[in-house]
Amino acid sequence: MGNADLRDIAHIEEVAFEDLSGVVAVDAHNWLYRYLTTTVKFTSDRRYTTEEGEEVANLIGIVQGLPKFLDNDLTPVFVFDGGVTDLKDDEVAKRRKARERAQERKEEAEERGDAVEVARLDARTQRLTDTIHETSRELLRLLDVPVVEAPAEGEAQCAYMNRVGDADYSGSEDYDTMLFGGPRTLRQLTSKGSPELMDLEATLADHDITYEQLVDVAMLCGTDFNEGVRGIGPKTALKAVTEHGDLFSVLSARDAEIPDAERIREFFHSPPVSDDYEVDTTITPDVAAARAYVVDEWEVDPDEVERGFERIEGALTQTGLDDWT
Amino acid sequence: MFKAIVSASTLRDALDSVSVLVDECKIRLNEDELAIRAVDPANVGMVDLTLEAAAFESYEADGGVIGVNLNRLEDIAGMANSGDLVQLELDEETRKLHIQIDGLSYTLALIDPDSIRQEPDIPDLDLPAEIVVEGAQIGRGITAADMVSDHIRLRVDEAEEAFFIEAEGDTDDVDLRLDREDLIDLQAGPAESLFSLDYLKDMNKAIPKDAEVRVELGEEFPVKLHYEFGEGMGQVTYMLAPRIQSD
Repeated sequence: MGNADLRDIAHIEEVAFEDLSGVVAVDAHNWLYRYLTTTVKFTSDRRYTTEEGEEVANLIGIVQGLPKFLDNDLTPVFVFDGGVTDLKDDEVAKRRKARERAQERKEEAEERGDAVEVARLDARTQRLTDTIHETSRELLRLLDVPVVEAPAEGEAQCAYMNRVGDADYSGSEDYDTMLFGGPRTLRQLTSKGSPELMDLEATLADHDITYEQLVDVAMLCGTDFNEGVRGIGPKTALKAVTEHGDLFSVLSARDAEIPDAERIREFFHSPPVSDDYEVDTTITPDVAAARAYVVDEWEVDPDEVERGFERIEGALTQTGLDDWT
Repeated sequence: MFKAIVSASTLRDALDSVSVLVDECKIRLNEDELAIRAVDPANVGMVDLTLEAAAFESYEADGGVIGVNLNRLEDIAGMANSGDLVQLELDEETRKLHIQIDGLSYTLALIDPDSIRQEPDIPDLDLPAEIVVEGAQIGRGITAADMVSDHIRLRVDEAEEAFFIEAEGDTDDVDLRLDREDLIDLQAGPAESLFSLDYLKDMNKAIPKDAEVRVELGEEFPVKLHYEFGEGMGQVTYMLAPRIQSD
């Protein structure tokens, strides 16, 4: 989930959708998660599951969310997570535990008949099931949206594609793409308003630090892979790293410790990423097949998706020059 | 080996035409010309540039390739007055480019060319219509279209012998009609395609207002825009893929 503390020091500017163009490498897990937890989840539950109780909110999310890219000259490439990094074990375990706690409290709330609390806790118990993975991929395939498989962290792969120039932006709500060296990250791609552009170079320039120092600052505050040092927030971390030079000098000056610090740091600097992807950025969706898949096969109420499909149909597809070579 | 002296304005014109599409590029230092070819990550816009040896005050090269950060190089070139000469020399050992401008010397770290996106193949297109028009006219059409929409239609009417730049917004429309007498030349043919204004706006920034722009156009085909700079010794071709209605 990344560390929201970084918001305080990241260089973030609101941008208009109209001013953006090019390829966005979207962290698929992160993007779908937003739709599962916020966009549709709070309104009702029955509409977002089939008779058998299978989750379909992801399909609605895709159909409703895709036009935002297409209408605005942005070509999305969805990057799916590979295996969980062993470094992340703690975080995953913690999240699982949090989910279990939320599940218990949800059941209690259900007994009390507290609908608001149920909805709120429902969001916390969401995770991407195998079905969600499968159906998301299938729908993206029918809509001709490119998909890339990351060897490990999706965000690291997004950042990499952005860095080597295969994508103009990473798309993620978290801050980790920047820690993985992604030059430009678009946030709030699923929200109603304008997206935000988070810029790595500008962030470094704002604080006169190097990329390596930024990672050190983040680690002091805490990341997905480590607990932060007690009592250190972003401002303090920044000051300490600037004063002492790097993470280890700060730790020894404060007589503090971050387990596995060397490995975690190395992981941010050079995470597992793949060059083994091919991205055809000309999107020519088979809307009829996608509609049949969502409405007939997965029993989604047509009213939920019709407007989205209409927008996808009406969108002007930007072709690529490689279509002519 | 690469050593050259060039006027700051010619260098800037060359860099500007590429930097509107990409941040980094490979520069081919051929014996008789400097050449750049680059495409943006979405594969939508391409630039193909050559600057002949004759455009330089002096030019010596033996076919090497360097990778540069264009913004950085533009910033340095921006330090020169337009009449200044810029001296460029490649240090093969350190892989750095030494740049001298009127006493100012700058050592620019180069980028490994292998880390830069591959140079694109140029689509082989035989486009039915050709329009030669002043850069300023295209600029007018683009600026007006941008007020109402995010895409633009370029169209040739064979019967009326006219070139149209059009845009349809949600409420407002824009239409620039250029008849044969408004154009430098027109070879009419069936041609009508839609393009993203984001890209055209950027390309237009680099096209000099007084340049003769040769536009090659087809029906739902990429458009080619050719123009010259550096007193005719620099040539730029932009190619832009169309937008199509997906139905």
